[in-house]
Amino acid sequence: MRYARLNITWNGQNGDLPDPVSWHASDKEILRWATEAVQSGSVPGITKTGHVRMHTFVVDRFPANKEIREDRIYVRPRTPFGAGSRGASPCA
Amino acid sequence: MRIVVVGVGALGSHVVQLGRSLPVQWKVIDFDRIEAKNLLAQFHTRMGVGKNKALALQQAMQGLFGVKIEAVPHRLAADNVEALLGDAELVVDCLDNAEARTLVQQFVREREIACVHGALAPGGELGRVVWDHLFVIDSEDTPGQETCEGGEHLAFVAQTAATVAQAITLYVGDRRQVSTQLLPSRSMVLDSR
Repeated sequence: MRYARLNITWNGQNGDLPDPVSWHASDKEILRWATEAVQSGSVPGITKTGHVRMHTFVVDRFPANKEIREDRIYVRPRTPFGAGSRGASPCA
Repeated sequence: MRIVVVGVGALGSHVVQLGRSLPVQWKVIDFDRIEAKNLLAQFHTRMGVGKNKALALQQAMQGLFGVKIEAVPHRLAADNVEALLGDAELVVDCLDNAEARTLVQQFVREREIACVHGALAPGGELGRVVWDHLFVIDSEDTPGQETCEGGEHLAFVAQTAATVAQAITLYVGDRRQVSTQLLPSRSMVLDSR
């Protein structure tokens, strides 16, 4: 069985699930596990949150390589921006 | 080395100014104009308001630092991508929409040009600096979603831009490609090769 470390970014916080997950789990399964872990407060570094919605989040998979010797899966919010040339935001 | 930066708004404008000491030739591409609201998060000044972002950055780099860069005040499109990116040895994608990112990604993959992408989450909670072989283009959660609210994200925008500039520096040095994920409180190396 191939396992990976699962890292979660939620609400500006970040942490790893204490136990590894299957590398071959589907994105849907990964997101469900991540959601439940944050809701139950079992992710060190992430404050327990009652209502967690990760349906728009992205699952990235990075295989081990010469420099980083473990498989990793990252759950994160989308990052669509770089230029910020739209809209009325003062940040744009 | 010839480096082309596509999009010189929040990330791209800071990337160029932070990379100004590199021994490279810069070309910057952006069709957009500077608005007053841009000043809170971008390396553009009041003197540039109303001007094209690429041309204003060219003027600022020359005026402030004596650094000459090439500026292209046009929108990157399918019919000019060859002309604008064809001579690049490294493309830096700091765009703000999936459509243009897809155009860049398809071109660099077809032509086997090195490419690093800079990307931010709408709320300023996450930044990513990822080389193209690992980069997945994210669409917006909702169309027209704002990049962030107010100028409180400037430091994080600059931190992400500095990470892009550092990725470029490593690549210029020994062709190393380091991909990074950043939060305001933590950064993580995703991949290095």
